[in-house]
Amino acid sequence: MKLRALLAYWPVVVFVALAALPFSQDKQVALYVQQLIPLFIFALLALGLNVVVGYTGLLHLGIAAFFGIGAYTAGILTVQAFPFQQSLPVVLAAAVVTSVLIAVATAAPTLRLRGDYLALVTMGFGLIITFVIRNLESITDGTRGLNPVTPSLLPGMDDPNLRKFKLGPGWGQHWYDYPYFYFLCLGLLGLTNLFLRNLERSRLGRAWVALREDELAASCMGLNPARLKLSAIALGACIAGLAGALYAIAQQTTGGPESYDFNRSMIALCCVILGGLGNRPGVILGVFILIGYDIVLTPILDTETQQESFQTLFPEWMRGKQYLKVSGWRLFIFGAALILIMRYRPEGLLPAARMKHELHPEEGERPESEGERPA
Amino acid sequence: MQADVFMQRNVSLERLTYYRNCYNVDGVVSVTYDPAESVDFTLFEEFTVDRRGFMKSAAGMLGGASLAGIAGCGGCGGSDANTIKIVSSLPRTGSAQGQTNTIVNGIKMAIDDYNGEVAGLKIDYTDMDDATAAAGKWEPTAEAANARKAVADEDVMVFIGPYNSGAAKVSMPILNEGGLLQISPACTWPGLTKKQEGDTSGEPEVYRPANRITFCRVCPTDDVQGPLSADYAKNVLKAKKVYILDDKELYGAGIAGLFEAQCKKIGLQVLGRQSIVPTQQTFSEIAGTVAGEKPDFVYFGGTTQTAAGRLIKDLRTARVACPIMVPDGCYEQAFLDSASAQDLENVYATIGGTDPSLLKGPGEEFVKKYKEKYQKDPEAYAVYGYEAGKVFLEAVKTVGKKDREAILKACLATKDFSAGAIGTWSFDADGDTTLQQLTISKIIDGKFVPQVSQNK
Amino acid sequence: MTPLLASDALAAFGQFALIGLISGLLYALIALGYTMVYGIVELINFAHGDLFMLGCMLALSFCYIFNARTEDDAGTTAAFMAIAVMLVAVPLFCAGLNLAVDRAVYKPLRNAPKLAPLVSAIGVSFIFMNIGLFWRGPTDITFPKLLLGETNLVAGSGLRFTSKDLMVVLVTLPTMLGLTLFVRYTSLGKAMRATAQNPTAAQLMGINVDRVIAATFAIGGALAGVASVVYGLYFNTVNYQMGFQNGLYAFTAAVLGGIGNIPGAVLGGIVIGLVKALGGAYIGAEWSEALIFGILIVILLFRPNGLLGARVREKV
Repeated sequence: MKLRALLAYWPVVVFVALAALPFSQDKQVALYVQQLIPLFIFALLALGLNVVVGYTGLLHLGIAAFFGIGAYTAGILTVQAFPFQQSLPVVLAAAVVTSVLIAVATAAPTLRLRGDYLALVTMGFGLIITFVIRNLESITDGTRGLNPVTPSLLPGMDDPNLRKFKLGPGWGQHWYDYPYFYFLCLGLLGLTNLFLRNLERSRLGRAWVALREDELAASCMGLNPARLKLSAIALGACIAGLAGALYAIAQQTTGGPESYDFNRSMIALCCVILGGLGNRPGVILGVFILIGYDIVLTPILDTETQQESFQTLFPEWMRGKQYLKVSGWRLFIFGAALILIMRYRPEGLLPAARMKHELHPEEGERPESEGERPA
Repeated sequence: MQADVFMQRNVSLERLTYYRNCYNVDGVVSVTYDPAESVDFTLFEEFTVDRRGFMKSAAGMLGGASLAGIAGCGGCGGSDANTIKIVSSLPRTGSAQGQTNTIVNGIKMAIDDYNGEVAGLKIDYTDMDDATAAAGKWEPTAEAANARKAVADEDVMVFIGPYNSGAAKVSMPILNEGGLLQISPACTWPGLTKKQEGDTSGEPEVYRPANRITFCRVCPTDDVQGPLSADYAKNVLKAKKVYILDDKELYGAGIAGLFEAQCKKIGLQVLGRQSIVPTQQTFSEIAGTVAGEKPDFVYFGGTTQTAAGRLIKDLRTARVACPIMVPDGCYEQAFLDSASAQDLENVYATIGGTDPSLLKGPGEEFVKKYKEKYQKDPEAYAVYGYEAGKVFLEAVKTVGKKDREAILKACLATKDFSAGAIGTWSFDADGDTTLQQLTISKIIDGKFVPQVSQNK
Repeated sequence: MTPLLASDALAAFGQFALIGLISGLLYALIALGYTMVYGIVELINFAHGDLFMLGCMLALSFCYIFNARTEDDAGTTAAFMAIAVMLVAVPLFCAGLNLAVDRAVYKPLRNAPKLAPLVSAIGVSFIFMNIGLFWRGPTDITFPKLLLGETNLVAGSGLRFTSKDLMVVLVTLPTMLGLTLFVRYTSLGKAMRATAQNPTAAQLMGINVDRVIAATFAIGGALAGVASVVYGLYFNTVNYQMGFQNGLYAFTAAVLGGIGNIPGAVLGGIVIGLVKALGGAYIGAEWSEALIFGILIVILLFRPNGLLGARVREKV
């Protein structure tokens, strides 16, 4: 039992290990640790989505819209084309506030919709946002993206030159370089996690779960479904907006509107479902598996499949074709993962205790209350 | 803390820079140094010792070993003092593949010219992909990751690519800050190197965070292509009223804008300009609008990947029978496959540079060798891949050692270069080629048939 | 002869409306597959659009097999053969594929929470897209022009309505009419309506619900197959992302008309087609999609059950 109690602290161990990675002296390690930055950002996005889909049970198909709003807010506040040039805290705060305001404004009228219809509205909204970004050229620069998105670290201060802190290979000199930005993203991910953990145990968190389980019963118990739904959507948008701003800074450009399209929403949803709906570590695991496969593993493997020595293993007409590339199988793998998970483990890889119990009651495990489970 | 050590000993800033180069720390240098300057190597040792000492006390090795296992994959290879790496980042999946295949072949042929070794250094070539299979075209995340990888690998001396100007916007700042030479064989948007009229986005300085030039290109830019296309429409095709369409991307909308500006200058009437949404499956409405305006010439600024073929098909369906012209983003086989031969009748494509069939002298030789080696006609940009490889390897030959900074300088200083296949040219102060050519081809029976090739 | 539509502006408007109507009929045909499946199993079948795309690619294969072309007489004969074979084989293929997917993927999840089949459908859609990608690559492929669209059937009226447009009308309208009659008057149709209303009650009345569901998937698939052949012949371009785009329109059409409602889907399809064409022409093609989804949201807000959908009382 003692060991079990210790094991419950594994997220802390993982966090510390991740924080220590940039200190490794191996150059190759540094190269790959850098690529964890987008994973942290997408983990934030998925955590935001998890608030809406996992805790509250509202199917949201347009979370990427808020990701985009966050990114473009950050872009507008930093690029030279506009007279703002704000610093990081302002940018992050503005991204969060804008996302939340837009989320509340657009979600408020739709709250009486139920189930699939709500999902459709969120989907429609997500699609519209990409067109708005695309077409409001004077603000968003169309498909070209705003760049460079490099806010200063603190308001009214020159960026510190960090080159003297170089403690490992690949350490850059700006705060938005690896590994400082890596630490920032990791830290924000950790904080968000902690915040959500406490929220899960709070009155609001429990109310969301009640709403998810049975809206009618919950409202009979005196909960206000509309207000609860709105707060969940707002919090989801808040975290997604934060992730979006970080994404823009990490890339130093907002990218085009296609970075925030329906596909992005779908893949975030896939991560949440694969990992375990409603369970934070599960969601993060889902992101690391799916997005990690997509943006870390695939390029590595594709560099290999690109080599002549690999391509010449196949007959002439097959060479250079999509199916000889790992990235060619991307949709297939995502699709197969979703189908298999839904068929054999609908609660996800790391399920929340309650979900697990609901879906596999025959195993007779006593459902722990969410609050008692250390995370 | 290390800097403090130096400061106590009153070391000049220049020298500090030099040490950083020795270590290849961040690579970003805005201060030049003189290699002939004498170096106090005792400082150098102290620096290493000091750093090691610190590292021992910092409990930072955790997890490093485990990741090293993953990271120590094949292909990443070990660092070797006598190997230099060339990387290219081009869309290798998707419809641009036909074009990039020949660019890659061109680069390989350049390396073969030196038998894989220059100035006693072995040449290693890695062909990276900045496209994903699902998108079928370049993606910002892939391009950024490629650029970061190239900067982090100390053996990499040059980054050849990208193919798309939009992708260049992503990789240029990263490579600039990393102090790595970037040679693009195919990015034609002029704003990457020169300030454009009426631009507010801070181009091109935004791509140069280190306040110096690391990007150059061997292909002529769109400020040649766009205007000359308009001239051709007026003088040869006798157009009077033109309609302009674009795909709204950096390259497509950019070249359409240059075309439009020239139209206004030479008195061509512009009936209208619209942007398409390339993800839409049909463009019947736009085609209907264009047909209603009754233009006698239509220009589309876009690429095969942004639905040029589909658009032309819809225009023809809506009975727009006039000549249509597309820029070099469509100058490839994939474009010819994306619409039927009937629809592509009376369609013109331009390319900044020369069609392979028009090359003379060493160029003709190149095309011949290419056909022998790959049993295929090179596409239009093959020769620019070759040229990019050549100009880099010649620079390495001049420098004679494995030194990013020196190679970068030598390459950008290239003057009157004639070792390649497209004639004699130099890099100007912005890193652009002085060669300003344009070829206009008509599509006849599903093939590009050059009509004119001219210098600006 | 004076043109029917005297002014240019009016003729242009009529022409855009016609474009919208024709593409709307195609969206409607795809939308029927969404609406029928939703009506019975309450599943938004995200894979339906991609099924349509695979149908299109198969139709293209028949063009190649028969070497169909219109340049010479032999080719024209081949073209007619190819079209005839396509119109039978492609709907059969799509029906079979949809049925197989239902068996393998959705059926085991019949009693699972509602999210499970929905997510699986997204998964199936991804897999179909990947198959399309491997099959024909990532760019547009030309679908041979087997039907000549040159002769204007209403010459002199100021509009263009070609034999191609007529073909779309001649295929889609009878198909929809047939479907409506089928659902209204055959016993299987009645069983479908019964199952849609209350599966448990239907089962108690001796209806084989599994078979009814299977039949629904097969019919929906066949409709997508018909749509894909018509689409290929009409628009002459095929690519692996066409399923996503057209599926999205069709699905929006189904919701707009009232999901689960067959005439509603047809109405919705036509509305979407008109909005896209007229909006594209008069507001700007860049905004036409935003307009479509904007209308979807507005309709859902004020008539959550669509234009023709019946209000459903909440079950406790």
